[in-house]
Amino acid sequence: MTKLIVSDLHKEYPTRGEPLKVLRGISLELTAGKNLAIVGPSGSGKSTLLHILGTLDRPTSGTVTLDDNDPFELDDQELAAYRNNNIGFIFQDHHLLPQMSVLENVLIPALADGKPGSDLRERALNLLERVGLSDRLHHRPSELSGGERERVAVARSLILSPSLLVADEPTGNLDRTNARQVAELLLDIQRTDNMMLVVVTHSGEIADMLDSKSEIDDGKLI
Amino acid sequence: MTNQRYIIGSLIHHWRINLAVALGVAAATAVLTGALLIGDSMRASLRHVTLDRLGDIDEILVNDRFFRAELVTELQSQPEFRSDYKLAEPAIVFPQGTIETRGEQDDTEVARAANILVLGISDTFWNLDSLDAQPVALGDGEVILNQALAADLNVKVGDLVTLRLPKELQVNADSPLGSEESTDRVEGIPDLKVAAIIQNKGLGRFALRPNQTTSRNAYVRLDLLQDELDQDDQCNAILVSSKQGDNPPDEDASKRLRSWLKPTLSDLGLEINPVSIQYKAEGATESTVVLKYYSLSSDRMMLDDDSVNVALRAFEKYSPQQVFTYISTALMKVSDSQHIEDGSEGLVEAKRTVADDGEFVPYSIVTGIDSQTVLGPLVNEDNQSPLPVLGDNEVVINQWLADDLKLSVGDWLRLDYFEPETTHGRTVERYVDLKVSSIVPLTRPRRPFGRRSAEFQERPYLTNDPDLTPVVEGVTDKASIDDWDVPFGMVYQPRGQDDDYWNNHRTTPKAFVSLATSKLLWGSRFGSVTSIRIAATEGIDEQKLSAQLAGEINRSGLAMGFTFIAVKRDGIKASSGATPFDALFLSLSFFVIAAALMLIVLLFRLGVEQRSTQLGLLLAVGLNRKHVGKLLLGEAAIVAGIGSLLGVILGIGYAKLMLLGLTTWWVDAISTAFLEFAWTGRSLVLGFIIGLAMATGTIYWAVRKTKSFSIRGLLAGQATGHSSDTKNKPSRRATIICYALFVVGTLLAVLAAIPSIGSGMGAEGQAGAFVGAGAMVLTGMLMILRWRLRQATNKESSHFGASPLIWLANKNSQRNPGRSTITIGVMASAAFLIVSMSSFQLSPTENGRGGFKLVGFSSMPFYKDLSSPDVQDDVLGDDAALLESGTILSLRYKPGDDASCSNVYQVSQPRVLGVTSRLIEYYDDASHTSFTFAGNAELKDSGSNPWHVLSTDQPHKGTEDDPLPVVIDKNTAMFSLKLFGGIGESFDVTYEDGHTIHFSVAGLLANSVLQGSLLISETDFKQAFPHISGYRYFLVDPGQADGNQVSNFLEDRLGEQGLDLQDADQLLADLLAVQNTYIKAFQSLGALGLLLGTFGLTTVLIRNVFERRAELALLRATGFNSKRISNMILLENLLLLAGGMATGIIAALFAVLPHILFADATPPATDLIIMLLVVLVVGIISGLIAVRYTLRAPVIAALRGD
Repeated sequence: MTKLIVSDLHKEYPTRGEPLKVLRGISLELTAGKNLAIVGPSGSGKSTLLHILGTLDRPTSGTVTLDDNDPFELDDQELAAYRNNNIGFIFQDHHLLPQMSVLENVLIPALADGKPGSDLRERALNLLERVGLSDRLHHRPSELSGGERERVAVARSLILSPSLLVADEPTGNLDRTNARQVAELLLDIQRTDNMMLVVVTHSGEIADMLDSKSEIDDGKLI
Repeated sequence: MTNQRYIIGSLIHHWRINLAVALGVAAATAVLTGALLIGDSMRASLRHVTLDRLGDIDEILVNDRFFRAELVTELQSQPEFRSDYKLAEPAIVFPQGTIETRGEQDDTEVARAANILVLGISDTFWNLDSLDAQPVALGDGEVILNQALAADLNVKVGDLVTLRLPKELQVNADSPLGSEESTDRVEGIPDLKVAAIIQNKGLGRFALRPNQTTSRNAYVRLDLLQDELDQDDQCNAILVSSKQGDNPPDEDASKRLRSWLKPTLSDLGLEINPVSIQYKAEGATESTVVLKYYSLSSDRMMLDDDSVNVALRAFEKYSPQQVFTYISTALMKVSDSQHIEDGSEGLVEAKRTVADDGEFVPYSIVTGIDSQTVLGPLVNEDNQSPLPVLGDNEVVINQWLADDLKLSVGDWLRLDYFEPETTHGRTVERYVDLKVSSIVPLTRPRRPFGRRSAEFQERPYLTNDPDLTPVVEGVTDKASIDDWDVPFGMVYQPRGQDDDYWNNHRTTPKAFVSLATSKLLWGSRFGSVTSIRIAATEGIDEQKLSAQLAGEINRSGLAMGFTFIAVKRDGIKASSGATPFDALFLSLSFFVIAAALMLIVLLFRLGVEQRSTQLGLLLAVGLNRKHVGKLLLGEAAIVAGIGSLLGVILGIGYAKLMLLGLTTWWVDAISTAFLEFAWTGRSLVLGFIIGLAMATGTIYWAVRKTKSFSIRGLLAGQATGHSSDTKNKPSRRATIICYALFVVGTLLAVLAAIPSIGSGMGAEGQAGAFVGAGAMVLTGMLMILRWRLRQATNKESSHFGASPLIWLANKNSQRNPGRSTITIGVMASAAFLIVSMSSFQLSPTENGRGGFKLVGFSSMPFYKDLSSPDVQDDVLGDDAALLESGTILSLRYKPGDDASCSNVYQVSQPRVLGVTSRLIEYYDDASHTSFTFAGNAELKDSGSNPWHVLSTDQPHKGTEDDPLPVVIDKNTAMFSLKLFGGIGESFDVTYEDGHTIHFSVAGLLANSVLQGSLLISETDFKQAFPHISGYRYFLVDPGQADGNQVSNFLEDRLGEQGLDLQDADQLLADLLAVQNTYIKAFQSLGALGLLLGTFGLTTVLIRNVFERRAELALLRATGFNSKRISNMILLENLLLLAGGMATGIIAALFAVLPHILFADATPPATDLIIMLLVVLVVGIISGLIAVRYTLRAPVIAALRGD
């Protein structure tokens, strides 16, 4: 069974004075089909933890294993491929490419392996249908509402069927109704596809919708 | 979704920044393509000038002797001639004529043009013009001038002019037997009416040598010149055409052409005459022949060494006998006690007198010959067998001389003679004492010489042979010694017995020495044999001998002046240019290209920064950096492709602009405005490809830099590397480098400024050292600046200082230290380059002209030593006093290509100057301002003046093993002759007659008026170019007198020789103008680059403002009014701009200041200051644009971050 294990994770940033300790010995586990909400005040280290889980950043010490593999043992090339195959990202600022259509945005991760095949295109269409955007396939991001953009970002994160989905304030820019809809959609897909999901959020309402919740403060899980 | 789709989408979406990048690429490509097109235009224009000036003429033969015009007809009638060529035209060509005209009102006012090209042509000459121009047909007594010459003379159609041409004489003027009188050597043709003035187009600009400046030409009828020069049916040139336009026949065809030319011996100036020594005994009806032989001789009195060698080979089986006959000025008996030993020579210091020297025989013929069977002439009286070869100090005299001087065998005979070559026109008389080893009898003729030869009744001896002496005009054709017309002064009055001898024996030698002795005493560069004798035996006659000799000449490849020069083929080759103008303009445009590339990097990076979140996303979703890089590069390649394509089109405009510059503002660089725009597909394609590669390469480099960007940073919109700017202090290594740059730079500047060291570097070396020093200081300053900016960024400061606005602007400019350093660096580098280049500007110096105020050369040589007061008195009369305190130095001159920087054609046969020992000695006097040597070969006496590298007693052979030491102006060596090896480098030149001379660089002059020539010693010159006599190049120091007055005066008095003097300062300034103009062009283009840099600055500023839009909006929201914000941004801009320029100028001061202080250089000119001010103004304007942009941003949207 797919399993995420985080052990004694530390992260420091150099400054002109003492190094800034952002994470101080974080450990957690997650299995397939499970999700976890991470909450905490600003500057507590939530996003840093999420970026390390998503392999966008490397820990100062400690390990992260996914299916018994430590991605940080990989070089940059391998790590990119690993991320592409195993991790899906959802950002607060969705980061849709303005020059691309909705469908093309969803297919962006597939570029890593060259030209996406027809199966991926089918999957993209299917995902967009699941997120309720099958009628907006060829629209540009600028022509979408905030909720719709976030749903595109959700579909994009799922296109390569990752085993781990990480979401950084996925509903942070949405109103309450939209936020709830996006969260429900995300959970529905995660459960249906038996993925692991880690969500960083300030919203207690969203956190409560998830299976488990951990609070982080001053770099430690409490 | 595909990579291509992504790239296209991105390309269109980010069109603004992509357009900006494309324009940057276009700028770089335009400059690059433009430079290539300038090269095309230069080559095409030179080629056009070449083809235009030569018309249909492909090959030219110009001989220094006249030959039968019929030879041209014979050439054309060769059956194969028409397979390669169509037409051959006889002509008389003089590249060194003089023309003058007198004023209409005042005929003492003479306008004169020297060193003009005079062509004696037939009407069919104009058929060779590719322009099909048919000027007015020339009448007798008429001349056609081209515009260039007419303008020089200020004459119009119908005016009268006088033409002066060199006259062919038998004996070289450097021989004591050759006339030095200009009246003898110059033929004046007065009152020629100007029939037409033709345009400087087509054959109207005909020239023998490639040079872009228009030759000044005069055209007269061929038969007129033949008449005036007493050369009936003769010509000295052949013009050959293939009528193939710009596709001249190849080298093989040229070889065939030469093989079809069959000059006779008379064309070659040789003749074979039968000679008989005979007598008619009393009562006999038939003459008895004692000896019959054939004599080969030259119409120039001496047979040159090549001809002798060929003849000896041709006649080997006939046992040819060499004869060397010379004239003795006096023969006398000396006692045993008076004679000098071993045939060594003494100087005749005073005129011989009977009182001092006893009886002497004036003006006698002496022959050097080794006696042999049949021919004799020195034979044993008893058995007629030849006498053995005479010893070095032995002489055989005839009975007449023995009787006259009462000489017996064993007595000593003193023989006075002229040295075979004059020095500066001065004849030197020497004597040698020889022991009489034998006395040969002499038969007195029954009838002396009269209109016919003498007639003998008694058997004459073999020594009774006046034909041992070659024909010498003015001597052998005179009935009396008194009538001799010789160039040397006849100081001795012939006695009665001398006249008697002349009547009876004419040129019969009175004394004989061995051939070796004669060669030793009288051999010279003109030769050491006067005739070759072949005994007449059965089966040989003149025709057979002539044919054998002609055959051997052909086999040996001896040209004897009959060499065709493939003018068109060589001209086309030379039109590739002395300087690769494409490369030159690429280097001149260096800063524009560099600025454009920096702009590309800057714009591209801005583009990357603009889309940093996109890049972050691509990386976040699993695309590796290589893949993202490829996407960026793919997009950039399309942008670069479009930019390059646009650049190629703009390049055409750029090239046209540069050509406009070259034909107007920078015309001094190429002397004359002859350039026309031309292009080749190759240049356009090459420009596109290189532009594309350059831009893509630059972008690739920028893309590689993105590898260090963190994904998180990118997602957060920050396109910065991992490395933080938290390091307050530079590394130890960087600190050491920085201080080393400062110390070494300063040291270099100080060293170069010390006169004793700096002067050793030469002017440019010194300037290079200063610029190098400045560059080091600049690099050091930029390094410090970067650290300072970094430190300032990290330093907290709440001291607002005197002006909070300046504090704020200062803090803002420190916000992005890397970006600010690049901006300052671009501005500083440009300002440094522009300012420091001014230290390379050269001004004429006294050293550059060797202390002389006038320089010039004459159409025709002057054979006497013009520096001698006696000669000056003789030539200048009472006015010689004008030159009392002055100096004239004469140099020998071998015409050739002008190898100075002002000739843009490739040089193959540079002109040569023969440096006299007088010039070398002149500079031994330390009080004389010498030329500056940039380097010279080691001297025996290290303290002596560098000109001694040319001092030599024995001539060098000019072979690979024994090259001629040569002094060359450094610019000539480097730019025209492509000699970069410095002192000791060897090179060779093959001259028009086909002989190759090897040279070895022994000295390099720095920025001298002697630019464009090879300078060799006079000794070597005479060896290398034996047929060139006299002096044509002059350096004149008027001393206390006025330079203009002396110039006018000398030009007037030496008008016959066509002396043309120029102000040395002006000439040097003209020569230096080439380099100075290129520096100006570099500075102007540098300023253009700087302007491009200011666009970069504007972009940076706008980007800075864009990044801070929320912050600026906040300032506005908190009460900053628009003006205050504008001022703040403008101040930021000014700080960067002024910082950059100040840094550059401070560093440039290291380069320029020592030059101004120690090298008498003029401070940077006002145009330089204007140039920098323009850049400053443009920079400020760019700041204003940024301000305008800022103020247009809506406050609320900016605060929201939209």
